[in-house]
Amino acid sequence: MDLAKYRNLFLEEATEHLAEMSRALLILEKHPDDGEAIDLVFRMAHSIKGMAGSLGYDSITEIAHKLEDRMDAYRAVGRIEVVEGIAMLFRGLDGLERMIDVVRESGEPPPPDLELANALSPDAASGAAPDALEEPEKKCLRRAQTPRRRGVWVRRRRRPRSACAPRAWIAS
Amino acid sequence: MTRVLIADDASFMRQMIRDIIEPEGFEVVGEASDGVEVIEKFKELHPDLVMMDIVMPKRSGIDALKGIVAMDPTAQIVMCSALGQETLVMEAIQAGAKDFIVKPFKPESVVATLRKTLEKES
Repeated sequence: MDLAKYRNLFLEEATEHLAEMSRALLILEKHPDDGEAIDLVFRMAHSIKGMAGSLGYDSITEIAHKLEDRMDAYRAVGRIEVVEGIAMLFRGLDGLERMIDVVRESGEPPPPDLELANALSPDAASGAAPDALEEPEKKCLRRAQTPRRRGVWVRRRRRPRSACAPRAWIAS
Repeated sequence: MTRVLIADDASFMRQMIRDIIEPEGFEVVGEASDGVEVIEKFKELHPDLVMMDIVMPKRSGIDALKGIVAMDPTAQIVMCSALGQETLVMEAIQAGAKDFIVKPFKPESVVATLRKTLEKES
């Protein structure tokens, strides 16, 4: 594999993705239920994870994966939690930017950022994605039990009708 | 030569797949960067095989897969997934995908999966 070629492709594409994520987060600050912006941040994080994983940039893969999981939880409930949630997403974005700068400047995989990785974990005290959501919406989610996704919020297979049915349906 | 259409929103991934499969005798006849474009390119190019990412803009890979299979139930589609997408992979297989490849790609595994898919077809 021509590592230099792929590193340049990665730097180019990841930089564009981070810029798009940043724009989408600014939209979400004002419109936390903007589904298109939520989906875009999810896809950008997913894409950075895939590219970084292919190049063995494990620290970037880890942070992007945690952001992706967070956004997946927000996708499930249709909105983000504005104050702590958005702050954590910006923190994750800043972390990815720093790591990608390291690759750009040194050509080497960046070192892990354990503090950021822990902060982005679903069990972290601040900004854990669905904890700040209303109780009825939390009933639609559960913590995954599989070894790889343990603790990540995922949609319940059987949704409690009263909590998860579309509002118009509940009203009828 | 087997004609392949690659669908992934990351040009990095499309290039990587191209670099893996072209030396092994596959011809990449087209690339698509979203779930709408892949359906259009499928109609236009009639590839022997499609390699398609699950997470794509406009229409997801699974949605695009369903669109292609509705047009051509014999379409040979291999999905590209990431770890943690097992449920989506199962959904894709049920919707008509022939097989799947997990990122990060192992070149020998990519080629083996494509060959296995084509053997099953013949």
